[in-house]
Amino acid sequence: MNDGEIAIDGSLGSKEPFDSKNERVLNPHAQRCLQQLLRVWLGFERDLSTVPLLRRIDLGTYTIDDHLCLLRNLRQQVIEGSRWITRTASSFDRNHAEIRSTIISHAVDEHRDYELLEKDYVASGGDLNDILGMERNVGSEALHGFLMHRSSRSNPVDLLGAMWIIEGLGEKMARSWAERIQELTGLGEDSTRFMTYHGHNDGDHMERFYDMLDEVCVDELTVRSIIKTSRVVARLYRLQLEEVEHELE
Amino acid sequence: MTVYITSTGAFLPGPPISVGEVEGILGAVHGKPSSLRVQIQKANKIETRHYAIDGNQKTTHSNTEMASNAAEQCLDRAFLTRDKIGMLAVASTQGDLPAPGMASMVQAELGLPAIEILTTHGICSSSMMALKASWNSLRLGDHEAAVVVSSELSSRLLKKQRYEAATESTFASKRIDFNTEFLRWMLSDGAGALLLQDKPAPKGISFRIDWIHGFSHAHALPTCMSVGSAGLPDDERTWQDYDTYGEAEKAGALLLRQEVRLLDNIVRMGVDGYLRLVEDGISVPSEIDHFLCHYSSHHFRDKILDLLDAAGVGIPEERWWTNLYTRGNTGAASLFIMIDEFLRTEDVTISDGDTILCFVPESGRFNTTYMQLTAVSS
Repeated sequence: MNDGEIAIDGSLGSKEPFDSKNERVLNPHAQRCLQQLLRVWLGFERDLSTVPLLRRIDLGTYTIDDHLCLLRNLRQQVIEGSRWITRTASSFDRNHAEIRSTIISHAVDEHRDYELLEKDYVASGGDLNDILGMERNVGSEALHGFLMHRSSRSNPVDLLGAMWIIEGLGEKMARSWAERIQELTGLGEDSTRFMTYHGHNDGDHMERFYDMLDEVCVDELTVRSIIKTSRVVARLYRLQLEEVEHELE
Repeated sequence: MTVYITSTGAFLPGPPISVGEVEGILGAVHGKPSSLRVQIQKANKIETRHYAIDGNQKTTHSNTEMASNAAEQCLDRAFLTRDKIGMLAVASTQGDLPAPGMASMVQAELGLPAIEILTTHGICSSSMMALKASWNSLRLGDHEAAVVVSSELSSRLLKKQRYEAATESTFASKRIDFNTEFLRWMLSDGAGALLLQDKPAPKGISFRIDWIHGFSHAHALPTCMSVGSAGLPDDERTWQDYDTYGEAEKAGALLLRQEVRLLDNIVRMGVDGYLRLVEDGISVPSEIDHFLCHYSSHHFRDKILDLLDAAGVGIPEERWWTNLYTRGNTGAASLFIMIDEFLRTEDVTISDGDTILCFVPESGRFNTTYMQLTAVSS
């Protein structure tokens, strides 16, 4: 149980999402891209606080019903996530073999994550049939549609912008949601395994992400396309989370 | 019109108080030593601080007195007669009186006749608000000189009697109420003052104000540091909504609280604001010679460093300068107290043309403020 306490003695401080860059030196385009990506992320993360369901995590009024609703709505996104990412891999030609390998192994890591979500749902007191029968919400439709469209284009390097947002959110779930949700709802660790597992895994993903960024960011045009896609994905992801509320009504 | 900081002053009440003496001044609640004090003090690494209350929790200096003392020192050091001062701006989280504004009281104490006054109300960033308004006033040519003062007397909020009276609060009911106790071991008292003029001082170093910018994120983020509510998620009452102030106090609505869990947002929004300034070409990290960052605790220094480095806009640690560890976290007063000592310290050489970046984040509801100064020597 955590009485509003965070570890503040430095060594136990919560991990920042993007501190794994170490001493890596990125090329100037990649460096600029990373700066802008960071701003998109910070804005996205701040604006998530305006999503009613997530604000209840901040304010301490989040309930088990909220949690079930969130998991139901996340599942479709996670299932579709593995589809756009594998399609992205297949859209890279042989001149991008390194990136293709990275993305394929990423897809292997995550393509069955939704099963974890289903287990969390049941452990949180939900009925398996409810989560299995859940449709994509309005925001998931928009996000999935956009990602499938972009990933079907040849050499879709701009999707690094999508990965940035989605991976960042994975870390955020582990860093600031999982334990807080358990505390507020009284549910056990088995209610947030998807969130914690996903977060652990994403540390390595960020390392590989910086490698990819350094490789593909060769000009201003590429930087702009990555940033644009990250902004669209940030907005549509938030829409998906906002739409969670409508299911409750 | 170009505006310069031509003189500074500071006032820290009483002797420096060491880590181990703090609870003797603020008092042990119900006579029991705090179980959180050591942990919080270890994280903030503040070695000494000052209080305007004594060991019996009696006020030794009012907030108005501290502000006036800092302003007096600033004016005594200035190459300017007092009749040239056209404006006084005063910033504090809480003046001695809820009304009128604190600037009225400080003006009276200083005896400055028929000037324009401004009181800014907020937390740490209220100093930057007062400074920006005064800077703009001089830029418009309204005045030749303005005094800007920031002063904090938070120990009056942090003394044991406040907590003992909150008999029906979360502090009374929880075994550990980290959010309510956190700031008790963080904040202390003091005041700082700056003199702004439309020309540099005839001798020594002046600081030209290049720009001041702020970004507030209250539209998106919840309240993080506050006084005035009981800190319960489903209770929207604020202190004046209770039938009596006594009831508000019992409920803990007059205690100073920090939603510690939300605090990381201030680091992130602080870096976000700086990235905005870099993106717009307003600040160039490699051109900064000195970085005066008001961080409330050593704990946050590393977090800011890491995130700035990750974004590729890091400012080398040797260019950071602070007196947090010896003067304490004096909230709104911190930056001015820092500028005053920075100008005088022998640790740093300030050369003509040096660029100084100042950063004051406020966790209240996430306001981040930035200022660039250039050293001008006469």
